[in-house]
Amino acid sequence: MPTRTILAFSGLVLAAVVAGAPFVLNEGVLRLATECLLVLTMAQMWNLLAGYAGLVSLGHQVFIAFGAYALFLTSGWLEVTPIWVLPVAPLVAAIVAAIIAFPLFRLRDAYFSIAMWVFAEIVGAFTMKSQAVGGTSGMPLATSKLIDFDWFEPTMFWLAGALALGTIAALYRLMTSSFGLGLMSVRDNDLAAMSLGVDVRHNRFVAFVLSAAGCGLAGALSFMGNLFIAPLAAFDVNWSVYMMFIVIIGGIGTLEGPILGVIIFFGLRELMTGPLGLSGGWYLVGLGLIAVIVMMVAPRGIWPALRDRIGVRLLDVQRAAPRSSPATVASTVSERSAV
Amino acid sequence: MIWVETLINGALLGGLYGLLGIGLALVFGVMRVVNIAHGEFMVLSAFCAVLLANLFPSVPPLLMLVPVIALSFVVGWLYQALIVNRVVTSPDPLSPLLLTFGVSVILRNVMVEMFGADVRSLQVGELSRASLEIGGLNIGIMPLLTLVLAALLFMALQLILRRTEFGRIVRATADRRDIVRLSGVKPDRVYNYVMGLSLALGAIGGVLLAVRSSFTPFSGAERLLIAFEVVVLGGLGSFWGALLGGIALGMAQLIGLKIDPNAGLLYAHLLFFIMLLIRPSGLVSSRA
Repeated sequence: MPTRTILAFSGLVLAAVVAGAPFVLNEGVLRLATECLLVLTMAQMWNLLAGYAGLVSLGHQVFIAFGAYALFLTSGWLEVTPIWVLPVAPLVAAIVAAIIAFPLFRLRDAYFSIAMWVFAEIVGAFTMKSQAVGGTSGMPLATSKLIDFDWFEPTMFWLAGALALGTIAALYRLMTSSFGLGLMSVRDNDLAAMSLGVDVRHNRFVAFVLSAAGCGLAGALSFMGNLFIAPLAAFDVNWSVYMMFIVIIGGIGTLEGPILGVIIFFGLRELMTGPLGLSGGWYLVGLGLIAVIVMMVAPRGIWPALRDRIGVRLLDVQRAAPRSSPATVASTVSERSAV
Repeated sequence: MIWVETLINGALLGGLYGLLGIGLALVFGVMRVVNIAHGEFMVLSAFCAVLLANLFPSVPPLLMLVPVIALSFVVGWLYQALIVNRVVTSPDPLSPLLLTFGVSVILRNVMVEMFGADVRSLQVGELSRASLEIGGLNIGIMPLLTLVLAALLFMALQLILRRTEFGRIVRATADRRDIVRLSGVKPDRVYNYVMGLSLALGAIGGVLLAVRSSFTPFSGAERLLIAFEVVVLGGLGSFWGALLGGIALGMAQLIGLKIDPNAGLLYAHLLFFIMLLIRPSGLVSSRA
């Protein structure tokens, strides 16, 4: 298929750009780019849950924190460079998600959202009490002396770039698979999906665990870049605020939306806190206003509205309804169910 | 004896928590919207009360409740009319949640920028320290008054909803938004009044809580979580359940603070989470 080729080609170009960027950009820009890519990954993960599985989490910061703390602790115990223990972060976040999914999945809609938030608060409170992880004052990365600081910023950027590109590619793959189709059918009409034999609970569970794992890895990278972790930063509800605003402004339930959202998010931040000299509080007010206005004017976000107007489709995972005779429809359906 | 006192004080605090939850429960019951900005509106009303108390030092601070309640009603009416009504009929149940969350972030940060992040509280002088001694137990007058007020408000709300014309319209709108239009009721307008009422009730809780404990612009999240836990613990849509839920949370919090002085709301959150595991339908079986 030609679109596949175009996508694969642009993926290669982007990978080359990520590989070469550290040799061109200065350190400040590189740090900002790293942050953008990590937040983009988190937003994509939040979108997987909210936009495709219909579960809005206001406590996703708990997975960021679990991933980051897991990295800091294991790296300290094993006394190896933090990069080698990175796989621990998504693993721990995924295990936690798999466990709490059982009580939380009894709840729907807003109840799920706020119960997630309460869960994050509980874990945050216990973390602040636990002296083993540094209590309220947090802890530095114990193995930071093992890091080669000449290459630290570029490595962080490469990891963040690989993670962001990998996430988008994986999500694209996932959403065009039968699993993604099932997920979207549940979001659009769970009753109809169930009557066709889609396992709603299982789909949601997989989306939840994947989303947690991705956020855990992105969170671990984010705090590894700071070389320090403290509970107030790790369990900050603003993580969820950022993910949510990015997804809502850009376009919920699309893969391009969060990319657009991240551009607006960081563009606005650099503009308001830089040249305009406003504080972080006013920046959040501005971002909130944009999000609220977008929700009232274009509830699906900016990207879907833009896409319909200019007719450009980038990473579209939507499937057009077959417009052929009933016989072909039946055969496509049987083909799909065979996949 | 000290434990009995803790339990009684917890129950009294619970009355206040019930008040925090009732506004949220009302809006949820009528329009199926969880107003995430409820906590921020409560903190905003507390800021208004503190500002008014500073402007008019000769007036007893608790009298400031009257203008603050009136103001909150108007703010709630406008909030619903201008913002929430636009998504309330959205086929996507997540839209109101996301929208009100956005509003809460805006309000919180506007308050940070306007009032600063300092810790504040509403000083009511002698009244906050006055206490009764009954059989060796020390019971604060202020918490006792709060519980009585909460019970009265619950009763009043119940009466309004059960016995008055307005209450009938509200219940009918909650049941069948589309059908009430046939009787000449405009659901959006009913919603405006309900949100006004909800924020007015929230203002009472917010101001009284500001007397009891200090607050910052960031306290909204804490208040929302308490309000939400009260509603869920009490069983959705049940007013008396909300009062019971509030009392359970108040006791859990104070017992927790006795064991561990800097626990904050941890034990209240834990109680909520455990109850969610063993009894997801709430303390009182719900009747919407």
